[in-house]
Amino acid sequence: MKTKFALLLGALLLATTAHARLNIVVTTPDLASIAKEVGGDKVEITTLARPTEDPHFVDAKPSFIVKLNRADALIEGGADLEIGWLPALLTGARNAKIQSGQPGRILGNAGVVMLEVPTTLTRAEGDIHPLGNPHYVIDPVNAKIVAAHLADAFAKLDSAGAEAYRANAKKFTDALDAKLAEWTAKLAPFKGAKVVSYHNSWPYFAARYGLTMNIFLEPKPGIPPSPAHLASVIARMKEENARVIIVDPYLNRKTAQTVARSTDATVVDVAQMPGGVKGADSYIALEDYLVNSLAAALEKK
Amino acid sequence: MSIDVPDAMTWAQIMSVMMWPLVACLVLPGVLVYYGLHIIRREVIFVDLALAQVATLGTCVCLYLGHEADDPHNYFWSLGFTLAGALLFTFTRPSKHARVPQEALIGIIYVVAAAAGILLLSKSPHGKEELQRTLVGDLLTVTPPQIGRTAALYAVIGVVHFIFRKQFIKLSFDHDHAAKGGWSVHFWDFLFYALFGLIVTSFVQVGGVLMVFSYLIVPAACATFLVNSLLVRLLVGWCVATLASIVGLYASFELDVPTGAAVVCALGGALLLTGIAAPLLRRCR
Ligand SMILES: [Zn+2]
Repeated sequence: MKTKFALLLGALLLATTAHARLNIVVTTPDLASIAKEVGGDKVEITTLARPTEDPHFVDAKPSFIVKLNRADALIEGGADLEIGWLPALLTGARNAKIQSGQPGRILGNAGVVMLEVPTTLTRAEGDIHPLGNPHYVIDPVNAKIVAAHLADAFAKLDSAGAEAYRANAKKFTDALDAKLAEWTAKLAPFKGAKVVSYHNSWPYFAARYGLTMNIFLEPKPGIPPSPAHLASVIARMKEENARVIIVDPYLNRKTAQTVARSTDATVVDVAQMPGGVKGADSYIALEDYLVNSLAAALEKK
Repeated sequence: MSIDVPDAMTWAQIMSVMMWPLVACLVLPGVLVYYGLHIIRREVIFVDLALAQVATLGTCVCLYLGHEADDPHNYFWSLGFTLAGALLFTFTRPSKHARVPQEALIGIIYVVAAAAGILLLSKSPHGKEELQRTLVGDLLTVTPPQIGRTAALYAVIGVVHFIFRKQFIKLSFDHDHAAKGGWSVHFWDFLFYALFGLIVTSFVQVGGVLMVFSYLIVPAACATFLVNSLLVRLLVGWCVATLASIVGLYASFELDVPTGAAVVCALGGALLLTGIAAPLLRRCR
């Protein structure tokens, strides 16, 4: 209780002293980490999904509506990643500033080339990626596009800070560029290596580093693994010599371990959200972790 | 600096978010509490859980067939399944001569409906989410039209129950004599369960299976613990439902936890308190 009051008081004080601070709500921690880099101390970032939570299925909590109600801007993925939980909350929040089409409604994927955009789609066929694969932030090149777009979007909302936002974005982009060379070099020896993933959330990552990720424990995105599908996965993994399975924190690790036992594979814990694995709390730290742990697992095999 | 400012803000905040859930929790459980008294008297406690699950199974079939979760088809599938369930329960009324007690059949229907729902939703892209939604509902994001429709339906059902209260009450509270009275027990029983099915189907859309069960049974159980006459039980039940709703919604906001589950736990707490208070009250008399 006390901390809550302190926080509220703090928020009040900030609201009165630093009137220009933008109050920005972000659906997922990956976009939030970039928004923090770009916004710096000129924005207040609130993230809805937890880093270990499935971004497709986030439990709605009362505080979400309050946060959305008071937001100056909302950043969402833009490819229906949050379609299962965000629309109802937005109706409840009744905030004109973040209705679609407003400058306060920011789509993270503006300018990003989406992969796996389906040509036809029926719901019966099962897919939770109707507008193309929404897990694009994990590719550092896309992160740069996101940063540039956020700088523009923030500048539109707060013209006084425009220069600062662009400078911050440039700083972040430069840091990524430096790192990207290192990451690419580190994974270069494993060009074409097969990595099995639970959910199809890694095509951007695979494309960036030249890995092959076309075997999934889920038969279709969002459909839980069935016994027959797992049997075919095991057969394919043996045939194609795939020896690494990656699992996000919110997916069933036991399924992956069962498959790993019959294929002599290694299970690697990964996450797309900063904070989803221990010690990787920023975008760059997370990418570092992913590249290093994958390189280590692929090296072993 | 005084603490009053954040406090006032908090109340305004709470109402900005929790107003419609609160309205839903104040308006809708009225009929559920009344039905709960019948259900407890009939000793078919798990009928509502089973019917709610059957209603949910209808929704699952609809989703499996490719309709969206907010499609109006949903309601009719759900209702169709529930009416079939009601028919089933009408003809399996408990009797002393039955080889298999009705409670066993009710349990089996619940379990099979739940399992079949899991099977169907395992093929649906938002299955995991829908499955959880069928349990605890979407109370937090309930909309005014949704509340309005459901309340109107409940009002109609309330009127039907009021007009035919003699028949319904005799059936539940004095079944043996009702059977000998010469009028069609099966007809009235079916009407009872069919209306019940309508209530359950509508409420499942808002509150999910767990909440339907809790609103039906907990206030009625508390009232049955405390008082004797049907009318007073109804009033006590309404008070329990209202108080527990307010506590649950407030806790959901203050602790920032899922709303439906918080209300269910608050109702559980109410029963616990009543269980402790009732013997003390009796001793005082
Ligand atoms: Zn996905």
